[in-house]
This record gives sequence, C-alpha cells and structure tokens, in this order.
Amino acid sequence: MEGVSYQRFPKIKIRTVRDDFMKFELRETDSSIANALRRVMIAEVPTIAIDLVEIEVNSSVLNDEFIAHRLGLIPLTSERAMAMRFSRDCDACDGDGQCEYCSVEFHLRAKCINDQTLDVTSKDLYSSDHTVVPVDFSDSSTGFDNTENRGIIIVKLRRGQELILRAIARKGIGKDHAKWSPAATVTFMYEPEIYINEELMETLTLEEKKEFVDSSPTKVFDINPNTQQVYVHDAEAYTYDDEVLKKAEAMGKPGLVEIHAKEDSFIFTVETTGAVKASQLVLNAIDVLKQKLDAVRLSADTVEADEQFGELGAHMRGG
Amino acid sequence: MVAREDDPTSINDLLEKGLEIDKQALAAPVKNAVDKFKLLPEFLKVRGLVKQHLDSFNYFVGTQIKKVVLANERITSKIDPSIYLRYKDVRIGEPSMIIDGVTEKLTPQKCRLSDITYAAPIYVNIEYITGSHGSKTTQMKRDVIIGRMPIMLRSFSCILYGKDEEELARYGECPLDPGGYFVIKGTEKVLLIQEQLSNNRIIIDADKKGCVQASVTSSTERTKSKTVIKMEKEKISLYLNQFSSKVPIMVVLKAMGMESDQEVVQMIGRDPRYGELLMPSIEDCMKEAVYTQHQALEFLEQKVKKLPYSTPDEEGRALRILQDIFIANIPVRQNNFRPKCIYVAVMMRRMMEAILNKDAMDDKDYVGNKRLELSGQLLSLLFEDLFKTMNDEARKTIDTILAKPSRSSRFDISQFIVKDSITVGLERTLSTGNFDVKRFRMHRKGMTQVVARLSYIGTLGHMTKISPQFEKSRKVSGPRALQPSQWGMLCPCDTPEGESCGLVKNLALMTHVTTDEDEGPLISLCFSLGVEDMELLSGEELHMPNSYLIIMNGLILGKHRRPQSFANVMRKLRRAGKIGEFVSIFVNEKQRCVYIASDGGRVCRPIVIADKGVSRIKEHHMKELRDGVRTFDSFLKEGLIEYLDVNEENNALIALYEDNAKEGTTHIEIEPFTILGVVAGLIPYPHHNQSPRNTYQLCRMDTLIYLLVYPQRPLLTTRTIELVSYDKLGAGQNATVAVMSYSGYDIEDAIVMNKSSLDRGFGRCIVVKKLAAVSQKYENGTSDRIIRPVREGYEAERMQILDDDGLAAPGQIIRPHDIYINKESPIVTRGPVTSPLGLPDSAYKPSRQTYKGSDGETPVVDRVALCSDRNNNLCIKFMIRHTRRPEVGDKFSSRHGQKGVCGTIVQQEDFPFSERGICPDLIMNPHGFPSRMTVGKMIELLGSKAGVSCGRFHYGSAFGEPSGHADKVETISETLVKHGFSYNGKDFIYSGITGEPLQAYIFMGPIYYQKLKHMVLDKMHARGSGPRVMITRQPTEGRSRNGGLRVGEMERDCLIAYGASMLIYERLMISSDPFEVQVCRKCGLLGYYNFKLKTGICSTCKNGENISTMKLPYACKLLFQELQAMNIIPRLKLTEA
Repeated sequence: MEGVSYQRFPKIKIRTVRDDFMKFELRETDSSIANALRRVMIAEVPTIAIDLVEIEVNSSVLNDEFIAHRLGLIPLTSERAMAMRFSRDCDACDGDGQCEYCSVEFHLRAKCINDQTLDVTSKDLYSSDHTVVPVDFSDSSTGFDNTENRGIIIVKLRRGQELILRAIARKGIGKDHAKWSPAATVTFMYEPEIYINEELMETLTLEEKKEFVDSSPTKVFDINPNTQQVYVHDAEAYTYDDEVLKKAEAMGKPGLVEIHAKEDSFIFTVETTGAVKASQLVLNAIDVLKQKLDAVRLSADTVEADEQFGELGAHMRGG
Repeated sequence: MVAREDDPTSINDLLEKGLEIDKQALAAPVKNAVDKFKLLPEFLKVRGLVKQHLDSFNYFVGTQIKKVVLANERITSKIDPSIYLRYKDVRIGEPSMIIDGVTEKLTPQKCRLSDITYAAPIYVNIEYITGSHGSKTTQMKRDVIIGRMPIMLRSFSCILYGKDEEELARYGECPLDPGGYFVIKGTEKVLLIQEQLSNNRIIIDADKKGCVQASVTSSTERTKSKTVIKMEKEKISLYLNQFSSKVPIMVVLKAMGMESDQEVVQMIGRDPRYGELLMPSIEDCMKEAVYTQHQALEFLEQKVKKLPYSTPDEEGRALRILQDIFIANIPVRQNNFRPKCIYVAVMMRRMMEAILNKDAMDDKDYVGNKRLELSGQLLSLLFEDLFKTMNDEARKTIDTILAKPSRSSRFDISQFIVKDSITVGLERTLSTGNFDVKRFRMHRKGMTQVVARLSYIGTLGHMTKISPQFEKSRKVSGPRALQPSQWGMLCPCDTPEGESCGLVKNLALMTHVTTDEDEGPLISLCFSLGVEDMELLSGEELHMPNSYLIIMNGLILGKHRRPQSFANVMRKLRRAGKIGEFVSIFVNEKQRCVYIASDGGRVCRPIVIADKGVSRIKEHHMKELRDGVRTFDSFLKEGLIEYLDVNEENNALIALYEDNAKEGTTHIEIEPFTILGVVAGLIPYPHHNQSPRNTYQLCRMDTLIYLLVYPQRPLLTTRTIELVSYDKLGAGQNATVAVMSYSGYDIEDAIVMNKSSLDRGFGRCIVVKKLAAVSQKYENGTSDRIIRPVREGYEAERMQILDDDGLAAPGQIIRPHDIYINKESPIVTRGPVTSPLGLPDSAYKPSRQTYKGSDGETPVVDRVALCSDRNNNLCIKFMIRHTRRPEVGDKFSSRHGQKGVCGTIVQQEDFPFSERGICPDLIMNPHGFPSRMTVGKMIELLGSKAGVSCGRFHYGSAFGEPSGHADKVETISETLVKHGFSYNGKDFIYSGITGEPLQAYIFMGPIYYQKLKHMVLDKMHARGSGPRVMITRQPTEGRSRNGGLRVGEMERDCLIAYGASMLIYERLMISSDPFEVQVCRKCGLLGYYNFKLKTGICSTCKNGENISTMKLPYACKLLFQELQAMNIIPRLKLTEA
C-alpha cells in the first residue's frame, strides 16, 4: 500500500454566482469530499453573531431572553471573522467584549414616542466596528422600495415603550449555535446521466411520448415540437424519483431510459444568510477544511493523535 | 348546444320518452347543494363558545332569582304575625366592593390579581313593619344589600358584557377569552355542566333483580322526591321514602279516592292482558281488607315512617304525603286527586307495556332522558337555600327579641337581614366545589374546577365539559358507551382516558342547552289547539285507540284526537316564532303520546328545515348572509332553521347532505363536522384516524405547554380551528418531519431533533411560576416589615437581586437560595406591646423568603405585584419566568395522539438533506404508523407540504371532503406534483453523515407539533444523602421533598431471589435508618444507654447486666415501642452471631 497515491484533482466549475447564492459543479472527487465541504460550510465556517446582551431598559412586550435570542439570530457581516479570534482563546482580553480582536460592541436605543407602532429593526443596532454590521437586505438592484425593507424586525414598540441595550458580538461557528452558521442552504446532488433508448422511444406514439414526458413531476424530458423526438430538457431537474422508470415499465418498455448518478460529480447549491458572500463561504470552507486536514496530518504520527482522535489515531498510524 | 348539433334526434327522443318519463321527477323541486358553512361562524357569533353557561347565568340573574325571592317573600314573626318583612323586588348590581366604606368598582383582572371575588351586590326592595311601644308603621326601603353574588364573566351583569376589543384590552382582558367562569378569591372557577336524569318524567326500567319499575324523580320549587312503582312477584307496589315499607299500589289509589277497582282497570286500559297483570294487586288489596278511602288512609298511616322528633300520631300525615310528596310534580288543587290518579294509571300502564314488551323499556343513557344542569340552575338552588336560611335566622332573632317581655329600643326588622351568610355561602361553595344543600338533599363534591389555563383550547374544552351523575367506581359499561342519540349533541371523541372514560363528555360545536321557559302560555295554547282536558275525560277515554296523550313537561294535559296535525301546528307556530324556539314537540307513536318540553337543560342543535327533501336554505339566503344583510337569527325567524332536541330528532328524517335527501326528508344537517366538539375539531382529518387516537389526542390537548415563544398557525387547519380562533392563539409549530429511522435513539416513539432548529427557536417555551408572600399584621398591632438589603457581608450575595425596597427587581436572574423578599417579623406577636409601630430593630427576627428552585434553571423575575388581601395585609406576588429550550426527554405530540419524547438532539450537518436543501426539524420513526393507523397524520403531512409549496392553507375538517372543507389526497398530490415533488410525499434524501443517497425515499413534510408540559426539568430527580422523615428516620418520599428512591417490595424480592443479601442489608438498613439499641438478653426488651455510667441499662430489669448492643432499623424500634403502647410485648431473643 505504501507509496500508492490516491490523489485526485477535483475541479470546480462555477455556474452562477451572486452575493448570497452560488451554484457550482464539483467534479472528479467522491461523496466524502463533497460532503465534508458541505458540512464545513454549515457548521465550521466562522461568522460573527451577537452573543452577549446587556439590557438596560426593556419595557417592550417581549421579555429580555426573547430579545436576546432574536438579536443573536441577526446575521452580521462577517468578512472579518476568519481573521478574528475566538473570545475563548483571545489573549488580549478576558472575553468581556472590549477587545477589538475578538468582539464587536453594538448599541441599541429605541423609544416609541408617538401613537404609531415603532418597529425596532436591525438597522437600529449601532456597531462599534463599521465592518461588522447587520446584514442589509435592501437589494438596490431589485429596485424595491426601501421604505418597506427596513431590516430585520427585533421588536415592535407602542407608545411609551423603550428598549436600551448593549450587545457584544463574537466570533463563533455553527456547531456551537446555529446563529453562527453562515449557510442558509448548502446542498448538493449527484449529477444524473440520462440515456434515452432512441430506438425504443421511436416505437412510442406521440401520445405515449407525451404521457411519458408528463409522468415526471419535474420537467426532465421534453418533446421537440418539430421532430417529435423526446429529448432531455433538464437532466438536473431529475429528482431520482424513479417515476419515469416506473412509467416505462408500466408501458411495457423497460429500458426506455436509463438514468445513473455520476458517482464523481456533484452540483452544489450554496445560499448564505448574508454574513459572508456565497463565493467567500466556499473559499472559507476550503480553508477551514485544509486547516483541519493539517491538524490531522501534523498529529498523525504522534501519540497525541491518540488523544485527539481516539481509536481513529491508532488506525491512522496503521494499527 | 354542441350536443344538440351532434345528435339532432335527441330532442325528439326526449319528447317521445317524455310521456313515459316519471313526471313527478320532473315536477320535483330542484335540489341544490348550498354551502351552508357560513352559518357556523354566524351561529358562533350570536352564541359564542360558552353560551350555555352565560345563558344559564343570565337567566338566573334576570328571572330565576326573582322567582326565588318572591316565592319566599315574607318573613313573618311567629309571635306577632302582624310584624313582617316583605321582599318586593330583587336585582343584581354592578360588580363592586366596599373598601373602607367606599364602593369601588371591580374588574375581573383586579380580582384575579388581588385574590378577591368578582361579585356584585344583591339589592332588594323591602317593605317592613317598624314598631315601638305598640305603634306599628309600614316602611319601605330600597336597594338593601342582602349579599354579594359572584358574577360570571361576560354575562349581562359583568362589566365586560358587550365590550369591544379595545375596551377589553383596557380592562386587562384577552379579547378571545370566552368568559363563562367565576373569579372566586382570585382563582378562576368553572361550574362544570352536570349531567342528570331528567326530572318529572316517567322512566321505565328494570331493577337489579329484573323487576320492571316506573320511577319519577319529582322536582318542584317546594320539594324533591322520588316515586317508584314496582312490579314484584306479580304485585305492584309503591316505594316512597316516607313510607317505611312498600305499599300496595291499589291501596294508594284507594287512598286517593279511587275506590272502585273497575275504574282503575278502565283507566289502565281494557286490554285483558293488562287486567291479568293487575289482578294479583287487586287481590292483594282485598287481602288487606282495604275497600274504602278511609281504610286505605288508615292502612297507610301505619306505614308512615315515624320521624324521631315529630309529635306522635299526627293526624292525616298519610294524606299529606300523598298530596305533597308522592309524585310531587303533579299538583293537587282543592283536594282533587284525580290528576294524580291518572298519572299513576299512566305509569302503571307504561310499566305493564314494558312487561309485555321489553322494547318499551326506557334507556337511562338515552340523551333525551338526560338534563344538563348549568351554573344558573345550580346557583339558584344554592341561593334559594341560603336565602331561606337567612330568612329563618332573621325570623328566629325577631322572635327572640319579641319574646322578651320589655323592649325599650325601637324595633326595626330590616336590621335583622344579614348579608354575610349569603355572600360567604356562595363564595365557599364555589371555591370548594362542594355543594351541600341539605334542603334539597344535595351533597355533591367537585362541582367547580379551576379553569385550565395551560392553553386556550384547554380552557374552551373545560367550559364544555360535562361531569357525570354516577360515581366513577361503578363497573358498568352502559353509561360509558357511545349513545347513538349523542349524535350532534355531544362529542363522540372527546372523553378522558381511564376511570371516567365515557362518563365525562363534552358538548359538540353547535349544541345549545335550553333554559326554562314559562309553560303557562304553552298550556293554554295546547288547549286552544284542541287538547281535551284530562279533567273532563273518563278513565275509559284515556287510552282510546284513536287518541294520543298530550304530555307537557311531564304533566299530562289531556288527549288529542289528531296528534300529528296538532304537532304540525305547534311546530309551525314555533317556526313562526310564536312560541319559544327551543320548545320541543315530540310525537311518540309507541307510547301514543305527544311530548311537549319547554324545561331547561335539554340539549338541542340547529338544523336546516327541508320540505319534501328540499332544503329551505337557498343560495340567495347564503349570499345575503355573506353580504351581511342577514344574521343567524333571521334564518331562525324565517323558519329556515330550527332547533331540535334529542327527542324531536326522532320525528325528523335528517339528511347529511342535500344529495342524500329523499322525499320524506324533513331536515338537512348544516355541516357534518359539527358533531365533534370544539377540541376534537382541531384534529385534522380525524375521520381517517383510528378513533381512540383522536380521543388520546384530546386528552393531551389540555396538557399543552405554558407559553410558546414562536407559536405558529397550523399549515393544515380545519374550519373549527378558524371558528374558535385557535389560529390566533396557536400552541404549536409546523415542524418539517422526516419519517425514517435515525441513530437508534428513536425507538419507542422517541423523536430525533435538529439542533439548529432548536437554536433558532423551535419548541422554545416560557414557564411562568407564581410566588406569593404576605406581610402579616398581628393581633397586637405589630406587623412584618420589609427592609433594605444588606449590601455587604456574607449575606450580601444572596441579596443581590433585591432592590432597595427589599423586593427582588423585575428582570433579575433569580437563583436557588436567593432571597427575594427581605422580610422581618416581630418576635413578639401576641399580647400587648407598648408601641407596636415603633419597635426597635432588635425586636424583629428575619423571616426572609428564599427561592427554592432546582439548580438546572435560571429563572428571571418577570413581574412584581403588590396588593392588599382580604385582611388588608400587604400581599406581594412575584411572577417568575423561565425560558426553556427543548432538551432530551421533553415530550412532544402531533395532533393525532402520537406523543414522543425527544430521544437525541443531532447537529444539523448530520441530519439528512434533500437536494433542494430541505433539512428536517425532527425525525420520527416509521414504526409509529402501522399499529396506530393514524392515516390522518400522513394526510396532514401531505396537505401541509402542498400548503407550503403553493402558499395556501389547506383544510382537513372532519368529514369535509364532500363539502370541500377538507382537501382530498388526490388534489393534494396534484399540487405536489405541480411543485416538483413526488405525488406520494416522499423525497430523495442524502445522508448528512456520509453524503451518500439513502436507500429509500423518505416521507417528509411539515406536521404541526405541540410541546407538552411534561418536561425533564420538572421531573428529573436524584439524591445521595438528604432529608429524613422525623418519625421513622427514613429518607423522605417524593421529588418535591428531595426524597430517596425507594427499593420496594418487588425490587427487594428480586434481590432476595438473586441472593444479594448484603445489598438488601445495605439498602434497607444502612442507607435508610440504622439505629443502635440496647437489648436486654434476659427480658428481651429495649433498654437505653446511660452516658454517665457508659453502660446500657434495661429499664425493665432495672440493671445493666444482660445488655447487648445491636443495630436495627429505627422503624423497627418504633414498631416495638408502638406495640408496647398497645399492650403487646415484642421480645427479642438474641443468639450469638
């Protein structure tokens, strides 16, 4: 076994990329790598989120814990997060939030003075660090009126109610609490390969073809209006539901289409909360993954590995 | 048009056939299915959800209380009958309270907060005689308060009546709260609906031995009695409490003036079979040599029970009993016993019918033979009793004063009516729930309950609960079984599990419970409609084959020759609104009777009237309703809808839908799901579930959590949910559920939860607890004081959360052993003290209130309320809140009776995901389905999934598919397919751990989940060493006392069988209550250890010579001593070990 290299060179092809959305293909690797990337994106890419709230005045209808919980879930722009320290291993401070390396302070001060209900939103949070601010969803490109879109509502106040608080945001990872997860949706699918048995297909009438095409809940196949041939319209729309296969069987034409999942290529969909850009999330995830691998590689030969990886350590050493 | 072109012959064909076609079918009116659903919200708008309680209470306050007072209007002195007091009028004022001489208006919220009763003064106008030294003058007084009546919330007398949302909010009331309960000493109490066998009706049934009997429970304003006529060993006799033994019925009839046997036979009917049955009884009477009325009365006189305190040989008691107690509901006017005789004859006839034909037996469980007693009736009974007691007391005081030979002061009778007895009596009865009305021989316990406030729906369910008449221990299945007559009146699903299963019931959605209605006008109406007065009929005519008896509220009015048309006319009058809408007219063809009922407590429900199978409600009516020009009442007034009670339902042929209506159909149901109750209506697709599952779910409904942080509206709703505005006060969340196996921590109904979902607030709830303390005032004028906390020193830490006023501040986190009130009490609280208010600091001892909570919690002080209680002490209340997120072991439930505990909590990245990126919130094991057969839950999942994909709430009302109130699976599947899901709700899923696709498609979608109140935090318990019980020195029992975990008999047996003797020794003695005793080897009794002499001494032998020391459980020593106290000597015989 010695010396055999299983090294592969995965390729990434980006299909779409927007600030908070990205779709890319990952090829020439296996599901373990794809899944590792997914898992890291969800749980281990650090972001900044409010972690400590000191409430000075709260006469709103929601209680203190409630507001604190809501504040925590507000995504904050976390480009800095990779460079920041975890407050638990910050040397410069004892984690009380005063230190620029590990924490960001926020202030909120709102009082309703007229009869109209006042919405306290994430826009009312004042950050001590201009790089770490609540995510702004008012997408100017969509041309929506921004008066509607005033950030994330924290609480509504009626006349006379007041909310004053100080909040400290810290770096963290999604494993500890979902508020630190930068990912809204991270998922992948195996790329399907669809072969249409054209010969068999031609034995079908147009009616039957239509029936066949309609049997898939998603629009995978279509009929060319000119040639009246069935063609694969969108292979990725296929949800591995086997409906078309069952249909083919029911029509007495098994093997009409053959569908396989390509074992080595994956189509990723990444959506972020806005804390980091989708593209950055993928890069960060790769970084984090690399760091983790480094940690494994460094300690692979040492006895330390036993402590760190338990049984797995001995296993890695070939035990 | 197209069809005609295609087939030009068709018209001709039709014309040809037309002559043969059933012309009637063509002439028949067109039936149209009209969506009558809109009637329901209208109905509930006028009726509300707890109308039965409110109606009953309003009737009591408006009408019945006046009747009660007027029936007992006079207090006349026995000594001087010219001195009297007369009540002229009575009314209930506004809820208020007199505090320090100032009348203060009460609001329910204020009462709840300051532990007082929400009650209103009862005002009376009185006329009375005052007199001094022989001169008497009549005086009038207005608005004298005789007591305070607890007021039902939202009734006419309540300040909340007719208030809009904003005003309610100002009073601190929830606009959705239904009312219908009382606030007694700060706690909310409901008077449960009581189920009873109906009064004043003849019930034929068999006793334990199988003898047929006819019984009547009579109830009038004056008396209550039970009359039983029984056929035993072929002889018919009367059982009445006032007679010491059974009495032959013929004697009774003779005593009432029916001396001729022939007349009796005629009255019962000349059918020879009846005569045969009657023969032995007549012979029996002959044997006793009773022939005349006089003889009969003499005979009865001997049978009369001797009352211990009554004067012996009181003349005419037998006659008086027959007059007043024997079937008391039949009045005897001017010594005319004929109505009673006829009544007895009817009873006997029906009894004989039952003997000849077992089918004629009455069913006690039949809902038509039941009456529901509501708060108004119960309160009226209670008030009557208290009022009479008060008047009796007043009379006694007056008499004692008048009896005094010399009176100097002015005599004022109005001073003697005291208001305390009524107030206290009402308050005590309502707060304890023990009705103890001796006058009416009523002793019932547990009539009131604290309103269940765990969830909105729990409260509603509580208001519609009907508590049974029987004690729960009876091992009979009859009353527990589902009665067909419950249809539409009582919910078939909603009943508790366990001992009261089937006995405690709930009202259905549209049920109305009637209140009493004046029968006077009805009776005269009946006579004018051709009822022949019973008085004018001979016995022979009574049971003529061509006539029916007309019975009004159990009273025989007479007979009618054309009963059906009589009933029709009566019904027409009712539909026209000329007589009350709740009057029921029931033609019983078997008994050849027409029953007219206007009494209170009958259950009835509205049904659409149909003529020859065609509904009277047409589309234009519904349109008018939708446009708001029409109300539910107008439907009633125009005779489109009517209320039918259980009995009258027997005369109706009710179709479920218009399509099912046939020629003979008289009525059509409004909506089939109204047969379910309020709570059962919350279950989606209940008709697809195994029926016990629905019942389990309902039992669970009221154990929902306290306050959910992010409540949601169910994605799959029902019409009932909208009607009861459950969607506004939800108690659960729509969780995306994957039905699959995961991790092995999901066996036995456990569920696996997604940690990220919990982080984001799924299942988070707030538990609120109340702590209260009183700053006491003592008899010597001293009082507790609350002082500034110490900010330094060793106690300062425990006082951190205190404000400068010595009370914990809102918003502070309170930990176990924290002091929340820094209170001090005077050391001397009795006997005179020189200056009670200026006591020195040294005269106080600390009596701080410390918080005793479990360590797992970090509660926060939510609110602090100060108020004064009834003794004017300062009362401090703390509301303490704790936000809990779900943890392993917490209990959750879907709406289909499928509870499960959280088995493990898993990171989101380990959770399975679909290629759309959907990741479930929780995973449920598929083994939950096959044995439970909760198909409804599967449909809920499908419906919710379709709902989220297309953005429309789907419906799952019970039996709603035909009427469109429930989405069909077929259409749901179409929606799913349209949005790219598989029609069967299954998804292709990847494992979150490996990234590989799972082997099977996973059934996944949202299901509404509710958190139940059973949470680990409240239940977990362990202890090492800890507190012990004083008397036995064994560890205490129970979690609340930090008790030990018992090694019981069965555990002990296991250890014995295994042979682990040392473990038994250790568990049962060493770790429990070891004790060292001195035993005298000679006498075998226990001695004591003398510490001075350092020896054990036997107190029996008076020496220490034969003392051995040994260990035994303290409980054992205790037993020995207790035995000795009972003169039993236990002696220990010791051997060398």
